[in-house]
Amino acid sequence: MLAIDIRNLNKKYPNFQLKDISFQLEKGYIMGFIGANGAGKTTTIKSILNMIHIDSGEVRILGKDIGEYETELKQDIGCAFGGVDFYTRSKLRTLTEVIKKFYKNWDTDTYYNYLRRFKLDENKKVAELSAGMRVKYNLALALSHGAKLLILDEPTSGLDPAARDDLLDIFQELVIDGEISILFSTHITSDLEKCADFITFIDNGQIVASSEKNELLESYRLLSGSESQLNQVKDKMISYKVNSFGFTGLIPSGDFDSSSDIRAATPSLEEIMIYFAKKEDMYV
Amino acid sequence: MYNLVMKDLKLAISPFFLILPVLLGALMLIPGWIYFLVILYFCWITVPIMFGQFRAQKDLLFTSMMPITKKDIVKARVIVMIILELLHVGAAMIFGVINIYLYPDPSPYFFGPYMGFWGLCLIMLAIFNVIFIPMYYKTAYNFGWAALVSIPAAMLFAGVAQWISISSPMASDIFIGSGVHNTGLQISILAAGIMIFVALNMIAYRIAVKRFLKVEIL
Repeated sequence: MLAIDIRNLNKKYPNFQLKDISFQLEKGYIMGFIGANGAGKTTTIKSILNMIHIDSGEVRILGKDIGEYETELKQDIGCAFGGVDFYTRSKLRTLTEVIKKFYKNWDTDTYYNYLRRFKLDENKKVAELSAGMRVKYNLALALSHGAKLLILDEPTSGLDPAARDDLLDIFQELVIDGEISILFSTHITSDLEKCADFITFIDNGQIVASSEKNELLESYRLLSGSESQLNQVKDKMISYKVNSFGFTGLIPSGDFDSSSDIRAATPSLEEIMIYFAKKEDMYV
Repeated sequence: MYNLVMKDLKLAISPFFLILPVLLGALMLIPGWIYFLVILYFCWITVPIMFGQFRAQKDLLFTSMMPITKKDIVKARVIVMIILELLHVGAAMIFGVINIYLYPDPSPYFFGPYMGFWGLCLIMLAIFNVIFIPMYYKTAYNFGWAALVSIPAAMLFAGVAQWISISSPMASDIFIGSGVHNTGLQISILAAGIMIFVALNMIAYRIAVKRFLKVEIL
C-alpha cells in the first residue's frame, strides 16, 4: 500500500513553479525529501497537506484523496514544520489538553510513555524547550494520536549532532513494524544517508529523482580528471568545477563511458545536491 | 466546534480579556456619559490585541494541521467573538441597571442605559463584525485593514445614532425622554437589535468561509 502517492502535481506562483511533481512512498518506509533552500520542499509538503491549492495533479494519502478526505486523513497524519512553535508561552500540559480533544484515537498511555522516553516535562512551557525537545514533543503528539504517516518539514534543522542522531534513531525504530511511514524534508544530507530508505530530490520545483537511496547514488558518477579530459565529457555533465588540478563534476551514470580513463566515484547525496545547484548557476 | 472554541479560550485569549468586560462595564457608572464608548472599547482594545496574538502564536498553521474543516475554523472564531461581545454588553447592562438606581432622576444629553440603547449597541457590533470578519478572512492573519475599516464604521453608526437622538425630537423621546419607560417599545428595539446582530453575523460567517476556503496557509 502506498502511504503517499503524488502524481503530476503542478502549482504556479509568479516567481516559482512546482512542475509535474510525482513520487510515491510505500507504507513502512522512510523517505528523505531533499533539495536546496527554495527548491520547493515546503511548498510540496503544504500541497500534500492541502494547505495550498494545487493547480492540477493528484495527492493520495493512505489510498485516499487528500482534497476529499482531508479531515479524516489528518487523524492519521502527524505533521510538523520544524518543532512546535505555536503558543510557546503555554505549558505542554495545557497544549496537550487542547490538542488531544481533536483526535479520535488519542491514547493517553502512549503519550505519557513518549514523554518519559523523550524526557519531556509536561509542566514546562514550549518556550523553555530546546529545538530538539520541541521536535520530540511534536513527535510525541503525533504518535499519541496513532499517526500512520509522519510528514515532517526540516525536523532536524537547527539540532545539534547528538540530538539529530537521537531523532534519526527514533525514526528508524518507528518504521520497524511497517505500520508507520515517514516523509521528512531536509537539506542535511548526512541525515538521509543514515536513515532514509528512499530519496526524493527536488530542484527548482522539479523532481530530479525519486528512488531507493543506493539506486539514486549509483545513477550518478562523480568524475575528476585533468582539464583536457573535461572536454571529453563536458557536454554530458550536470555541472562541474574547474580548479588548478583539473576538474570535478557530476554526470548521469548512463552518460559515462566506464572504459574511459577519467576517475569516477559514487557521489554522496551532498555532492549530487551541490552539482545540481551549480547547474542552475551555470545557466543563470 | 466546541473544542475549537475552547482552544481559543484556553490558549489564545488571555483571561484578562474575559475580565475586561467587567472593568469596562464599570464605566457605565459615569453619569450622563456617551455609553457607546463602553462597548467600543471592545473594538479598540480586545480585537486588535486578540488577533495580533493569533498571528504571533501562528494559530493559523496550528489549526490547519489538525483534523478540522476550514468552515469550522471560521465558525468557532465567529462564536468566540460573539461570546466576548456578549460579555461586554452583558457586563455593561448589569452596570447600566446600577446606573439607573444610582441616578434615578437624570437629565441626560446622551443615550441612557435602557433596553433600546442595548439594541443599538448590538447593531453597532453587528456592523463591526460584518465588515471585520469577512475582511480578516481574505488572508486569515492580516487584521490591520479590517480593523481600520470596521472600527470607524462602528463609530460612525454610534455617532450618527447619537446625533439623531439629539436632533430628532421623536428619537430623543424614544431613547432619552419618556419613551425609555415604555417597556414594550424598548423591548421591540432590543429585539430588532438582536435580529440584526444575528443576521449580520450569519452573513459575515458565510462570506468569511467563502474567502477562507481560498486562503493558502503559508
